[in-house]
Amino acid sequence: MTDWSESTRSAPISLRRETLRERAMDRDSFLRQLDWVLVAAVVVLCVLGCALVWAAAKPQGLGSTYLKKDILNIAIGSSLAVLAALVDYRTLRAYTPVLYAASLFGLLVVLTPLGSTINGAHSWITLPAGFEVQPSEFAKIAVVLGIAMLLAEKREGRSDPTRNDILLCFALSAAPVLLILAQPDVGSVMVFVITIFGMLALSGIPGRWVGGMLGLAVVGAFFVVHAHLLHQYQLARFQALTHNTSVAAQTFKFNQQQAGIAIGNGGWFGQGLGSGTQTNGQFVPEQQTDFIFSVAGEELGLLGAALVVVLSGVVLWRALRIARYAQDQFGMLVAVGIVCWFAFQTFENIGMNLGIMPITGLPLPFVSYGGTSMFASMIAIGLLQNVKVRSNR
Amino acid sequence: MPDRSRLRLVVLGVLVVSLVATLLGRLWYLQVLNAPQLREAAQNQQIHDIVTPAPRGEILDDTGKPFVDNKPSLVVSVNRTALDRLGEDTKTAVLHRLARQLGKPYPLLDHETTPCAYTKVPTSHGTKVVAAPVGAPWYAGPFLPCNNGLAYQPVIVSELKPTLAAAKKALQIKERPEDYPGVTVDLTAVRHYPRPEGAFASSMLGYIQLIGPKQLAALPADERDVFQNAQVGVTGLEAQYENYLRGTPGVKQVSVDHLGAVTGTVKDTAPVAGDNIVTNIDAGTQAALEGQLKDAITAARHSGFTGDYAAGVVLNARTGGVVAMASEPTYPPNTFVPSVKARTYKQLGDALGSPLVDKAFGSASPPGSTFKLVSSAGLMHDGTLAPGGYSDCPTNYRDRQNFEGENGLGVIPLRTAIIVSCDTFFFALADQDWKRDQALINQHKPPREGVQNMTRAFGIAAPGGPGIDLPAAEVAPGHIADRKNTKLNWEAHKKDYCAGAARRPKGSYIQQIDAFNCKYGYQFFPGDQMNEDIGQGTVTVSPLELAVAYAAIANGGTVFKPRIAKAIVSATGKVVKRIKAPVRGHLPLTKYEIGYLRDALYGVTTSRNPLGTAVSTFAGFPMSRVLVGGKTGTAELSNTDENGCWFASIGGPAGDKPQFVTVIEVNKADQGAVSAAPYVRNMWDKLYGFRDNKALFPNGVPPKKLPKVRIVEAGPPRHHGGHHAGGANPDATSTQKAKPTVAASSSSPSALGPPPILPARIERRAAVP
Repeated sequence: MTDWSESTRSAPISLRRETLRERAMDRDSFLRQLDWVLVAAVVVLCVLGCALVWAAAKPQGLGSTYLKKDILNIAIGSSLAVLAALVDYRTLRAYTPVLYAASLFGLLVVLTPLGSTINGAHSWITLPAGFEVQPSEFAKIAVVLGIAMLLAEKREGRSDPTRNDILLCFALSAAPVLLILAQPDVGSVMVFVITIFGMLALSGIPGRWVGGMLGLAVVGAFFVVHAHLLHQYQLARFQALTHNTSVAAQTFKFNQQQAGIAIGNGGWFGQGLGSGTQTNGQFVPEQQTDFIFSVAGEELGLLGAALVVVLSGVVLWRALRIARYAQDQFGMLVAVGIVCWFAFQTFENIGMNLGIMPITGLPLPFVSYGGTSMFASMIAIGLLQNVKVRSNR
Repeated sequence: MPDRSRLRLVVLGVLVVSLVATLLGRLWYLQVLNAPQLREAAQNQQIHDIVTPAPRGEILDDTGKPFVDNKPSLVVSVNRTALDRLGEDTKTAVLHRLARQLGKPYPLLDHETTPCAYTKVPTSHGTKVVAAPVGAPWYAGPFLPCNNGLAYQPVIVSELKPTLAAAKKALQIKERPEDYPGVTVDLTAVRHYPRPEGAFASSMLGYIQLIGPKQLAALPADERDVFQNAQVGVTGLEAQYENYLRGTPGVKQVSVDHLGAVTGTVKDTAPVAGDNIVTNIDAGTQAALEGQLKDAITAARHSGFTGDYAAGVVLNARTGGVVAMASEPTYPPNTFVPSVKARTYKQLGDALGSPLVDKAFGSASPPGSTFKLVSSAGLMHDGTLAPGGYSDCPTNYRDRQNFEGENGLGVIPLRTAIIVSCDTFFFALADQDWKRDQALINQHKPPREGVQNMTRAFGIAAPGGPGIDLPAAEVAPGHIADRKNTKLNWEAHKKDYCAGAARRPKGSYIQQIDAFNCKYGYQFFPGDQMNEDIGQGTVTVSPLELAVAYAAIANGGTVFKPRIAKAIVSATGKVVKRIKAPVRGHLPLTKYEIGYLRDALYGVTTSRNPLGTAVSTFAGFPMSRVLVGGKTGTAELSNTDENGCWFASIGGPAGDKPQFVTVIEVNKADQGAVSAAPYVRNMWDKLYGFRDNKALFPNGVPPKKLPKVRIVEAGPPRHHGGHHAGGANPDATSTQKAKPTVAASSSSPSALGPPPILPARIERRAAVP
């Protein structure tokens, strides 16, 4: 009998080591598992961001300084993203309480004299060598992970979250939200509220809870405005969108109008990178951070500005897709949390540049200059990739 | 994943898509639909015009002596933007300090330096309107509550008077810049009146003031920004020839950043100096006329008369050019520069003879017998009297006495009636005239009204006034009543007459007049015609109109629209335009008739038998060399012994056509022959150099050649920051009619002080912290 098996075994199967390239291209390899569309969108946004930050800081003579710092931020952020993508799920869950505690500590420190105030919000901790950290950005990650863990752990093999789970979520998020409210940074608080709401809603809690929370939000907003719990300047940011003529409202209106003028000044194709007259005249305040989008509008025109919007949309689409195909509840909730966070922050930031949202200090993810924001956004991308890679196994 | 979560994930996805769509839609709106407006807004705040006013043209006499020129003067300006950056306390302190230094109330200064769009600003004399740029709604922000646009433009707060005291005040500010941040002291050109030969010519020259909102609105949109702080002619020649005098301001467009610091120059056009106006006015003759009017008033007052005003005109009978025109009392020409003080204005308004109204062209009154020249022409022309015909001169005609009750002379020719000024001669003819017209009316035919029509043919009470080159609002045409306008007038005023008749105390003089007019005012009575034919009652004439009428007789029938200006000459000396007095028309008289009337005028001054009314006045005048004829006029003023005294004359080298017409009116004085004629004679003596006078014109003829014009360098004396007009044609200044650039002629001595100091000044202003 012919030993077919022998001959088969002696077939020229190479036992040499796989090349690096082959390993990378392997169906099961980590790199093949990554969401490359997401990576591409983020990379292009970061490149655009660098260019815009340079253009925005150029009139102050700080173009290259800011560019270098921005590139450094992106580099550090990318490393953090890789770390977040590679870290094991279990490790992530294990360290979530630590992360949560650390961010609470950071938020507490901000309120001490160690914190510094920028634009009315006491949100920064100044570090040596000119670095500043904004703990609320890290807190976003901590809260997303914390709530995901909380809701997912209870869910494994069980039905919808119980009332206790929901209340625990509220308690968990109350601490950072209150601390940020004390800064006060209403914009970030809004990010938290919307993110937590989104995660709770997507966790499958009963509809009455979703409705109840929405109702509470409306009543709460009404109460906050009419009980004069907001500072005058906070109110003014909303009034600036209406035809209010108070001095504070006019100030914000002025800023917004300047951004509007800059964007309108760009037209279809823009005035060219670094050639925006409105930008070079420094008419728009905070242009490398909050109003970075107006630089895109003026210098890159409708095409460039729409590209920023579309790329941000691509990031959200990919994140939603990752949530959809997440293998477990934890992964899905993390992705949903990041979608809510990015979606609100992007819409709010671009919206205020376009004059349809009130002015807040929220940066545009990946585009605005700002180290902590960049790190947190990058970590979020890393987490998304982590969920994606895991869902394919 | 539970279905509920899956569904909610879809909802989240839809939400995200709609958010992205919203942003893209809004982006489309801003960058495509709304882009033009936003781009304009961007331009508005990024580009500022720095306006360098052009040196205003000068107004010169016939030999080139300036009546009006420019003098460098120190002015104090406040830069509100710079002040605002100092903080509220410092700003207030600086303004308080400045108010003290300038002797100005603080609230006024504060208001002046915060100009809102066309605000009325309280001043010491009522309110004045401050012009501010329109538009720029983007700037209505909290940083500069009222007007960011104008805040860029320094506001002039000091008086624009080149006086030593003003210069001292300004220099004290300049010496202490640390006390006056945001306050600048600059050299600027201020209107200056050298008063050649001592002549005033005030109301004729007019004055300039800060442009008003109406004038600003009348300008083309792209010029409004440039001229919003301009000084423009308001009255007189300054207003009439504004477009020539103004010049073209230089505009430097600079791009600025959000702090207003200059980042670059977009465009730079040099100012083009305004054109000069060369006039027919001769400074020497003007001064002489003003002197004679003063003397006439003084003499009348010495004789116990009111002598409230006197006015006179010297006209070039051959060209229609105004050689001199004056009214006394008058005011110094710099009274209104840059604005009149409340007290001064009130004093001028209340003064005897109301100096603010120029009686030479700005008011009309009954001309008395000087008008007989016109009525004679009318009576001859409509056939009431044959040319050179005879008529009776009784002592009384019906219930009317001859003037001063003089005895009748029997049947005399028209010439004699003019020489002796026989009123009854004209009464009788007027009566005939009226009756003939009434008969025509009864036959349903139009009346001839020869005197009225002749009056208009002479340019008196003509439609559109005398047609002189002065703003129409300042020129008062005369009036002559006829049947039609009497009726129209009555219809318009009947109510008032009847109300007056009812309201006033019964039997009082005015009540009786009102009652009569209420009832019969629509009628043109024979008495009206009689009064008119001797220049009384319902006929009024301004000295200017009378001069034009006499000039027509002098020159053979040409009725001119008189001209003060003779030529427009550019700042480089190029003749832009020669101005000739337009001909209104020709008298409908034969050569014989005109010659006859002219001869009658010579009789008034020369005839011994019958004795002319002005013969004694012209005693000793060398008529064989210069033949002067004229007519006395004494208009009786109601309710007083005082008369409106006139003398109108024509004259020139004997044997030649008359060269000049000289008319003088002295109000509320004795008689034309006594109160006006002697001063007219003095003018003739001065014109031709008799009785120890030096002739005003070397050969008795006003110069035909244009004088050499001083060439002005357009050194920018002052800069206004202006607001760039969005959407305006950026080439507006350069595409205007080509005028020679002044820079080419800058080798001549500067009339405006130092050379341009523009760049340095902008830098300094921009550097204010």
